[in-house]
Amino acid sequence: MSEKYLVQPDLKFIDEITGFGAETLKKCFQCATCSVACPISPENSPFPRKEMIAASWGLKDKLVGNGDIWLCHECGDCSDLCPRGARPGDVLSAVRYATINEYARPKFLADAVKDPQKLPFLIGIPAIWFAIMAYITMAGHDTMTKLFHNFGVEWSHAKEGVIAHADFVSTWLVDITFVPLAAFVVIVFALGLKNFITDIHANAVAEGKTDKTSIDPKGFILALKDVIPVILKHDKFNKCEANQERSTPHMMVLYSFIGLFIVTNIFFVVLYVFQIPGPYSQLNPVKWLANICGAALIIGSGLMIKNRFSNKDQVSSYKDWYILWLVFALGLTGMLTEMTRLAGAQYLTYFMYYLHLIAIFNLFAFLPFSKMAHLVYRVVAMTYASYGNRK
Amino acid sequence: MEDLVDVVEEEGNNCTTHPFLCSNEGVARIQKDVDDGKVNAMVIGACSRRVNFDIFKFDGCIVERVNLREGVAWPHSREKYPALTEEQKDDEEHFDRIQMKAEDYIKMGMIRVEKVKLPEPYKTEKSSRKILVLGGGITGISAALDAAKAGFEVTIVEKETSLGGYAARMRSQMPVAEPFEQLISPIIDEKIAELKEYPNITVKTGTEVARIAGQPGEFTVTFKKPGEKIPFDVPFPLPPEMILDEKGNELDAEAQHAKYLEYNKGKLDILKLDPDGELYGAVILAAGWRPDRLKGDAYAHLGIDLPDVITNDEFEKIAAKGKIVRPSDGKEAKEVVFIQSPGKDEDDADFPYCGGVTSQVALKQAKYVRNDYPDGKAYIVYQHMRTPGLQENFYKSIQQDNGIFMTKGAVTEVSKAGNSLMVEAHNTLLGKDLNIKADLVVLAAGMVPVTVDDPVVNLAYRQGPGFRDNDIFGGYADSNYICFPYETQRTGVYAAGAVRRSMTIEESMEDAAGAALKAIQCIESANRGVAVHPRSGDMTFPEFFFQRCTQCKRCTVECPFGALDDDEKGTPKANPTRCRRCGTCMGACPERIISFADYTIDSIGSQIKAIGVPSEDDFDEPPFRILALVCENDAYPALDMVGMNRIDYSPDVRVIPVRCLGSVNSIWIKDALAQGMDGVILIGCKHGDDYQCHFVKGSELAEVRVNKMGDALKSLALEEERVRFEEIAIDEYDKLPGLLSDFVEEIEALGPNPFKGF
Repeated sequence: MSEKYLVQPDLKFIDEITGFGAETLKKCFQCATCSVACPISPENSPFPRKEMIAASWGLKDKLVGNGDIWLCHECGDCSDLCPRGARPGDVLSAVRYATINEYARPKFLADAVKDPQKLPFLIGIPAIWFAIMAYITMAGHDTMTKLFHNFGVEWSHAKEGVIAHADFVSTWLVDITFVPLAAFVVIVFALGLKNFITDIHANAVAEGKTDKTSIDPKGFILALKDVIPVILKHDKFNKCEANQERSTPHMMVLYSFIGLFIVTNIFFVVLYVFQIPGPYSQLNPVKWLANICGAALIIGSGLMIKNRFSNKDQVSSYKDWYILWLVFALGLTGMLTEMTRLAGAQYLTYFMYYLHLIAIFNLFAFLPFSKMAHLVYRVVAMTYASYGNRK
Repeated sequence: MEDLVDVVEEEGNNCTTHPFLCSNEGVARIQKDVDDGKVNAMVIGACSRRVNFDIFKFDGCIVERVNLREGVAWPHSREKYPALTEEQKDDEEHFDRIQMKAEDYIKMGMIRVEKVKLPEPYKTEKSSRKILVLGGGITGISAALDAAKAGFEVTIVEKETSLGGYAARMRSQMPVAEPFEQLISPIIDEKIAELKEYPNITVKTGTEVARIAGQPGEFTVTFKKPGEKIPFDVPFPLPPEMILDEKGNELDAEAQHAKYLEYNKGKLDILKLDPDGELYGAVILAAGWRPDRLKGDAYAHLGIDLPDVITNDEFEKIAAKGKIVRPSDGKEAKEVVFIQSPGKDEDDADFPYCGGVTSQVALKQAKYVRNDYPDGKAYIVYQHMRTPGLQENFYKSIQQDNGIFMTKGAVTEVSKAGNSLMVEAHNTLLGKDLNIKADLVVLAAGMVPVTVDDPVVNLAYRQGPGFRDNDIFGGYADSNYICFPYETQRTGVYAAGAVRRSMTIEESMEDAAGAALKAIQCIESANRGVAVHPRSGDMTFPEFFFQRCTQCKRCTVECPFGALDDDEKGTPKANPTRCRRCGTCMGACPERIISFADYTIDSIGSQIKAIGVPSEDDFDEPPFRILALVCENDAYPALDMVGMNRIDYSPDVRVIPVRCLGSVNSIWIKDALAQGMDGVILIGCKHGDDYQCHFVKGSELAEVRVNKMGDALKSLALEEERVRFEEIAIDEYDKLPGLLSDFVEEIEALGPNPFKGF
């Protein structure tokens, strides 16, 4: 490695990651205790010591395109053992968020999601949107029914005599919101990932961390096949010692999202293909799955919030709280919507549903910009590490 | 025990035994005999003299302590050396080696008491309680304040026209008080102002010392304006090349003296006292440092000739004037690289005369860059980042600055790149060879003690105006950096601050207090005629039997402290308050005319003669006898520790403690061998890099003398291996038994001394 590297510290980048919870990064005095503690530190490359000095020097180019930082599950062993209280775990977490922020487009949305002062807008926009949708549904029932009949389609998916949320915000309007939104999210991720994969590969080649010279899509997909069971079993996560208790709640949340994703898709098909509108019977096994997942989501995210509160050693910044409370709110409003519906409290359940929609919007629309984006970046980085035979 | 009593009584001396001599009752018994006038000299055969010295202290009595416990009973057990049975006692085959050792020690103690006198203190003619402080910087001012607060009269002499020194020329300084985190404005002005509160402090600016003559307690000091030439300017000894003739042979004494007079024309002899000189009791040397000038090939790769590559001192001057700008074009210097070590990847040494200060100065100056420019960047490339004590807090606080970047690394090149500079560093913490673009590069030049260029103290001593052996101490004014801080190689002159070691302002102020206390101790010792250090309280001093002096000057030359001057003929003139009582002069004197009241050639010589050397007339196979002359500072305590740890060594060794190996006169060795002893071992402190000698040169001189003895031994038909020189550190007691046993084995292999029995 005789080629010279021109250092170009970026003071703004230091400020940025400091704001994301890395306020301790400048304390590092490079003793490498973290590298000894770290279960994923390779033999000859002191991870995360090198990432720590890169962070304290503001070397954005060495961090943002660095796949290694995604292999860290923030087990906290390094932060626990750091003699200077430099908290490498929290620094890496901040760097990961900076990475999400860096690759996400459009920039203004990324900036809005990371800024606590923009939170009213993040909540307000869907709130106003769904208020309009609700108004259309409730005030324009007859007009819309006529309009839809012109196309031979039924406007209302509500059933007579039962409380149905479709009477509050039409399923058509919900899906007209979320289907394009999903497409938008996919596009944002795709654009981000394209750059991300290019960068982590370039970084790995430059630092001698891989034996691959180019990225072969087929090999990459094969690697993904190996990585997914690892993620599902939380194999890496379970190696954590200091933050061991984080593994189970994380697993609960992950599985409930997977479950709810399946449920949503099934009901989508049931509604639009088989034309059977909800609400569906509680005896339906799909409903069982939905209820279990909903409960797991609340419990899992609740536990995570509790852990963050009780863990004085771990720095929690806005990026962490935003996503945790959002997931918790999502689960809670979802379950309450169902419970109030079953209890027959019509307007209360409408209100809960309104809140639930706002929460879903936040999670969905801002997925590529929030900490939640780790689910994509981490999977890709882990896949790359497996594909590139990380050393 | 009874046999030991017999040894004493055979000599006609009284002997009393007590099972617990250091108890109140035991001591009271001795005291009673002293009070009754029955006893004024005694030999106490008990524990080592290194313990209970305060208990066995009887005023007006000569007390000799015979080390029967640590020296005999503890190291040598009866299990290993059983007592003789009745039949064995007179069979000429068996002998009791430990009993023999104890008996020898008692005899040696008795003879010493006979040979020594009670010392009487030396009093100087005049006596001054004033303290002279050389240097009006932070250290000098602090020392003056500390001494003045203790009630002493102080004079500060400063060469410059104003006080303050370097401390007055800085923009900011490192913290000096809790919480030790932030830069502070220089505190020197407060200190200068404080001087006015003390009427017992006199300040002489624009003044330097022409000469300091005499000795501690009565130094006669002549002042002058810097650069002035006056008769009381101190004469310098001839430089080495001038004492040789054209052929390279050394000139004789007379020719040398003539040359010396010519060389120092217009200057009065050192022995001439200035009648108008001021009298001082002690001197504090706080002359400080000068910034090092980095020149030469060793630094060529650092671009030292480029205008924007400057030293930390030059940077400080720019900073004191205003914002940090480049010397080349006056442009703002926003990206500055501080280089702490010359690097080149060959070794990790810092610049010469560096230390913790240069690390901290880099931190301080990096902060200047950040204070001047919010978008400024300061890089520090170091091999060592030294922030001792609470300055660690300062380091931590500087580290928190987002625009200060530090890495360990070796700087391989500084070169011009367009309008700026490029610094290349190898082996950095970033794991790569780095290039750093810089507007300005700052090199951490060291703090050269001013005594490197100039004696400063200008002592009117025969050995010369400065300190002779500063090279042992890396050029700093010191005499034993481990045990005796502030002590220079001249008694009565105490160094503080950067002249002693590179120091921060905080350290210098603390150091000043130490030197002030030493100066006070010196005054309070000189006026009572006792030694200051390391033999604090010793009242003896070298006495000369001049009738036999051959004016060989060996004593004058070899004294590590320049205590001896000589007159035109070369007759030594002792200055007792300069003396540290090591006895190096006594060891040097070929005529053996130098002695101390309780430490003489004869007292040790007689002890050696008192050692019984059994021959074949006594036993069929007589035991060997080895003499060990052991330095009392480190080696003797180490030997006591061997005893305390009950580690056995050959009981045929007889140990005599000496003040310093420098005081060992070769006659003792010759006498020992002439009386049939089989070998002599000298054990002293380490010299060289791992330097520990308490008297600077003692063990080194002893080694030279031992090596020179080889020929003399050969002329006696003796093997030179019979005399050995060894060094030991105080914590290496575990090595001593092996070292002694090896020597004894070697001697046994050589066979007995042929002179035995004569």
